[in-house]
Amino acid sequence: MTQIAAQRYTGTSVKRSEDPRILTGSGRYIDDVKLPGMLHAAFVRSPLAHGRVLAVDVSAARALPGVVAVLTGADLDTMTVRGPDPMVTFIGLGGSGPDYSLLATDKVRFVGDPVAVVIAESRYLAEDGCELVEIDYADLPAVADAASALDPGSPPVFADLGSNIIVPRRRTELGDVPGAFAAADRIAEFHLDVHRHQNVPMEGRGIVVSPGAGSGQLTVHVATQGVHVARNGIAACLGLEPEQVRVLAGDIGGSFGLKMGASREELAVAAAARALGRPVKWIEDRSEHLTASGQAREESFDVRAAVSGDGDLLGLDVAMVIDTGAYPVAAGIVPATIQMMLPGPYTLPALGFESTAVTTNKASYISYRGPWASETFVRERVLDLLARDLGLDPLEIRLRNVAPRTSPPFMMVTGRPLIGVTTRESLELVARMADFPAFRRRQAAERARGRYLGIGVATFIEPAPGPRMPGAPSVMGTESMRLRLAGDGVLTLFTGQMPHGQGHQTTLAQIAADEFGVPFEQVRVVVGDSDLVPAAMTGGSRSATMAGGVTLHGARQLKAKVLDFAALLMEASAVDLHIAGGQVVVRGDPDSAVTVAEVARRAASGLFGAAADELEVEASFDGGESGWSGGSHCAIVEVGVETGIVRVERYMVAEDCGELINPAVVEGQIRGGVAQGIGAVLLERSAYDQDGNYQSGTFMDYLLPTACEIPRIEIEHLETVPLDPDVNFRGVGEGGMIVAPPTVVNAIEDALAPFGVRIYEQHLPPARILELIAAGGETG
Amino acid sequence: MTVNGVRRGGSVEPRRTLADFLRDDLELTGTHVGCEHGVCGSCTVIVDGRTVRSCLMLAVQAAGREVTTIEGVASGGGLGPLQQALQDSHGFQCGFCTPGFVMQATAFLRTHPDAREPEVREALSGNICRCTGYQGIIDGVLLAVQRSQH
Repeated sequence: MTQIAAQRYTGTSVKRSEDPRILTGSGRYIDDVKLPGMLHAAFVRSPLAHGRVLAVDVSAARALPGVVAVLTGADLDTMTVRGPDPMVTFIGLGGSGPDYSLLATDKVRFVGDPVAVVIAESRYLAEDGCELVEIDYADLPAVADAASALDPGSPPVFADLGSNIIVPRRRTELGDVPGAFAAADRIAEFHLDVHRHQNVPMEGRGIVVSPGAGSGQLTVHVATQGVHVARNGIAACLGLEPEQVRVLAGDIGGSFGLKMGASREELAVAAAARALGRPVKWIEDRSEHLTASGQAREESFDVRAAVSGDGDLLGLDVAMVIDTGAYPVAAGIVPATIQMMLPGPYTLPALGFESTAVTTNKASYISYRGPWASETFVRERVLDLLARDLGLDPLEIRLRNVAPRTSPPFMMVTGRPLIGVTTRESLELVARMADFPAFRRRQAAERARGRYLGIGVATFIEPAPGPRMPGAPSVMGTESMRLRLAGDGVLTLFTGQMPHGQGHQTTLAQIAADEFGVPFEQVRVVVGDSDLVPAAMTGGSRSATMAGGVTLHGARQLKAKVLDFAALLMEASAVDLHIAGGQVVVRGDPDSAVTVAEVARRAASGLFGAAADELEVEASFDGGESGWSGGSHCAIVEVGVETGIVRVERYMVAEDCGELINPAVVEGQIRGGVAQGIGAVLLERSAYDQDGNYQSGTFMDYLLPTACEIPRIEIEHLETVPLDPDVNFRGVGEGGMIVAPPTVVNAIEDALAPFGVRIYEQHLPPARILELIAAGGETG
Repeated sequence: MTVNGVRRGGSVEPRRTLADFLRDDLELTGTHVGCEHGVCGSCTVIVDGRTVRSCLMLAVQAAGREVTTIEGVASGGGLGPLQQALQDSHGFQCGFCTPGFVMQATAFLRTHPDAREPEVREALSGNICRCTGYQGIIDGVLLAVQRSQH
């Protein structure tokens, strides 16, 4: 455990207050919600990738004892308001959005597309009912990949769009792109692919909707990253005012970008509960989850790189195609963020970027931890490919191109200042951790014995939240919090953050306890009730800066208020008072101590002519100066050239997320992200065949890393130059997942260098490794 | 059957899984269902001293047997030594897989009280955690081993 400052909670690995409940099975997850008279929903899903729905016969299912209702897409269409996905409303689509119903009516568009929902007295009976729903389909040719979707002759997934292009090709040129290529000593071209994989939290989606008796208010329990996102989506779909929907969330079993609480299935359940006047529960099972909850990362890139003979990267020209699957939500934001982030921490002076978004007959492309991560894969892969061609060391080419830390800060060619970025330091630190020269000697010795070891390094920056731009009001909007001191001395924080593993109930309490001056145990963090907490969400690595910052400033505001009351009570000047250990003390006079509880009780008594609720503040925070997170990772792998099995022997991280709130929590986020990145390269793939049939519907097909595949992950921290007078915590949720794939792939290519292998893809299971070795041997 | 030392009974359909019986009929919701096909280990319970995937066992198969769930690991609502070591090591994040890991590690440590890291990794490799990268979990189990030897 890290001990930084003995007198402060912030900066130490305080034990998580969430743990006693989760370690004893006392957590309250969505499937643990049980209401009187509750019914259970199960969905009938399309077995076809693309088909016309000719007839839906629900009579046998409706006749089954225990089945209460069977609702088709047509039924739900009359009960709901059509509109874009709530995430599209939130982030925009970037192109023309198709019109579609909540459940399929005229057409099914991917394997797993929901067509009808059966509501029954138990989940068993609901699934029995699903078996009895008879649907006639007419098979349509599937648009199973981006290349098919780009073909003007492909059958349109959405008739109203006229083609399968959601966002047509758009080109941007930043800097002097033709000049960069004209001046290049060498121009290299690559086609890089990133494969489809997915979030896979251990708890799937789930919702319990309870129609209020008489009040008209709908109470919704849901697994979500933000109760207000869910509330607004559900209200809009049901034609209600947001205030008519109360969304509650308890413990959330992971999400990684998936759970927004208003997916098509969840909205259908809300509509059904309202229509039936009874609570209805839906818990997604694993097969549904893998097939239909959403997938991410299917992009391809044509890259041209202009480089000097010494390894200066002069320009990149990148054409991207994103396969957004059916019911697109990510078509706009992902390409825009990829473009913005592509230069990374490097001086890259010219960037040409174009992107096209298509729709296909696959599950929807949704956000997954670091949704723009492919830009880091492309850039860090290209640097290694260039280094290999030029005979440069991978560290050398990076150090050569890293932007200097100057004042004013170096501007990325995409217009963001690289303020406070410590890429050079993190590269040098991770190289020391790995001891490159010693590794190269060992690598050579082992190669002589027929063992193939490789080392890979990659670096990233993450806008978590990102630098404050001159003249801009804020970086990520504002974050609000209500803070209250009660008569029992407990400081309660009401936050719209919706933790799903990040430990906010611990980390925010650490900051508040320090700033306000009470013991950690005296701070309570309230989350997960749209009637009680301000609107916000957990995602985009925003919490550390935004929620951490509003906690700090809110505690400071409330403390000033408490001291003003205490000054009257103690007949002292507020400037002479401070709070420590839960007591208000006149400086220099320890005998004067009055507990904050006593101050709160006296305030509530009206002694000072004040209302009882006045020891409460509403705070908001705009992110302050904000800043970047970032770091450099290094992997050492061994590739079994007979088996194709890759073993990650060591994995090292030099990370900079500013001031650490709780080092163990930060390290947990990094390690978890790295594990997902290792899984993405070595194991995980959301595979479809050429007819759009889904191939990865169980955990025997969609392989996740276990304790045997993930090595000990060694972490060293750097702390950026502080930018803000108070708030220098930065988000760390996504970086591990962003940079681990190129780190591991770079290491694998290094291991296979004797075979002449060059890698242009991200998914490298054993069979593919063997193919690469065989092909490399032929050409290399 | 005996569940956490208490005799419990009920009449269930033959197809009802032990997991559903524990969670719904007995309201012991600490046992979590993560995949319903025996891969992820979230629903692990101990039946007659051996770990079982309660999503793959029918409730009727547990008739007359002794079942321990996460609720029965520590007495008095506190943390047992393994659970305490897991908290001290920041073992978990979202907590959904946690009961399964605690049950698996509990059964494993009974037969391997002086286990070392490679054995712990192997023993826990049938349980999936998506949040942590496993290091804190492994460290917590090893810390419990270390503490038990003092």
